[in-house]
Amino acid sequence: MESFEQNDGNRDELIIQQQREIEKEISDSTPLVSEQLPLNCLRAEYEGDEIFTAKIQELAKKYKFIRRTRPDGNCFFRAFAYSYLEYLISNNSAYQEFRKLAEASKEKLVQLGFPSFTLEDFHDTFMEVISRVSPENAEGTAKVQTELHKIFNEQGYSDYVVVYLRLITSGKLQEDADFYQNFIEGDFTIEEFRHQEVEPMYKESDHIHIIALCTAIGVGVRVEYLDRGEGSLVKAHDFPEGSEPTVYLIYRPGHYDILYPN
Amino acid sequence: MSTPARRRLMRDFKSIYHRLLFCFAFSIALQEDPPTGVSGAPTDNNIMIWNAVIFGPHDTPFEDGTFKLTIEFTEEYPNKPPTVRFVSKVFHPNVYADGGICLDILQNRWSPTYDVSAILTSIQSLLSDPNPNSPANSTAAQLYKENRREYEKRVKACVEQSFID
Repeated sequence: MESFEQNDGNRDELIIQQQREIEKEISDSTPLVSEQLPLNCLRAEYEGDEIFTAKIQELAKKYKFIRRTRPDGNCFFRAFAYSYLEYLISNNSAYQEFRKLAEASKEKLVQLGFPSFTLEDFHDTFMEVISRVSPENAEGTAKVQTELHKIFNEQGYSDYVVVYLRLITSGKLQEDADFYQNFIEGDFTIEEFRHQEVEPMYKESDHIHIIALCTAIGVGVRVEYLDRGEGSLVKAHDFPEGSEPTVYLIYRPGHYDILYPN
Repeated sequence: MSTPARRRLMRDFKSIYHRLLFCFAFSIALQEDPPTGVSGAPTDNNIMIWNAVIFGPHDTPFEDGTFKLTIEFTEEYPNKPPTVRFVSKVFHPNVYADGGICLDILQNRWSPTYDVSAILTSIQSLLSDPNPNSPANSTAAQLYKENRREYEKRVKACVEQSFID
């Protein structure tokens, strides 16, 4: 009979347990995606803070509304998907094109080595979501928008959309590994980076995730950076550089929400 | 009630089942022993808790061992990994005394594209290739690095124990 050392407590499980409790606290208090809120609601969060107050004022000249996403590490992907699908509801030709791209993406990912059996599950759900927000719905745009909001607040659908976008992002990093390797700090290979920072849910997104996803889908994203940087101007970045943005996001350290331009 | 987690677990089960059938059919056709590997199925009344078996990989001290495990899923599967635990005693650098397993894909490298087969196959290869640098059992890790004979002796003892369990 073997004897085992008792001092090797199972640390990993304790850490995971603690993480789950924190996540539960966040999920109980914030919806996955909020209603549209006036941009000025941000001011309440930074009351008495001159730098942020000045920057929010500046931002309010360009944007009317903000839509918050749950800060669970998936915020970029969720915000991107919501904002882009919302744009497609009133742009039928772009919608049809995206639908074709999404349909073909599964085969492409399988060719890149993703397991087709499990991929199919996410792809089916992704396509179902796209169908449900078709601009050709006879009941009109407002109805489809309500449907979009409902879908994105249903954890099962909402998270599967995030998973699928993560897989598309991961696939793009692999496809153009030589290019993206330049963005990776430290000794990570692209392969390791994809498995550790892209595919797992709840891992936060960096520029590299944004560039890869935007490039894979062919969508321009403008990110407004609200931080403690100097001056009262809010810096904006367009991804990929020089593209015409269709999705507008606001970044505050560690978190992305959706913006609505005037 | 059909939730995404339950729907996906039914798919995982079908996939494992089909693969096993295929393996057996293949081995009968070739008149050979069925290939040893991994197997798992939901417990009688709960699809969220599975029992599984991993056969010790050939050409390792774990050869011939049949190690039982439990896999516990939450409704967040496959977005979050399940909790996998050996029920059989396993003397291995990355297996805790309580059967918990220290494996990156079950923690920070989990991908929702992994299914039960992929998990079990990864644990099986962990048996062949321990990672003594992140030990869950420090004695096993030390013996693996410094006294391979003694390590193998203690592994073989738990292989024999696995027949009785």
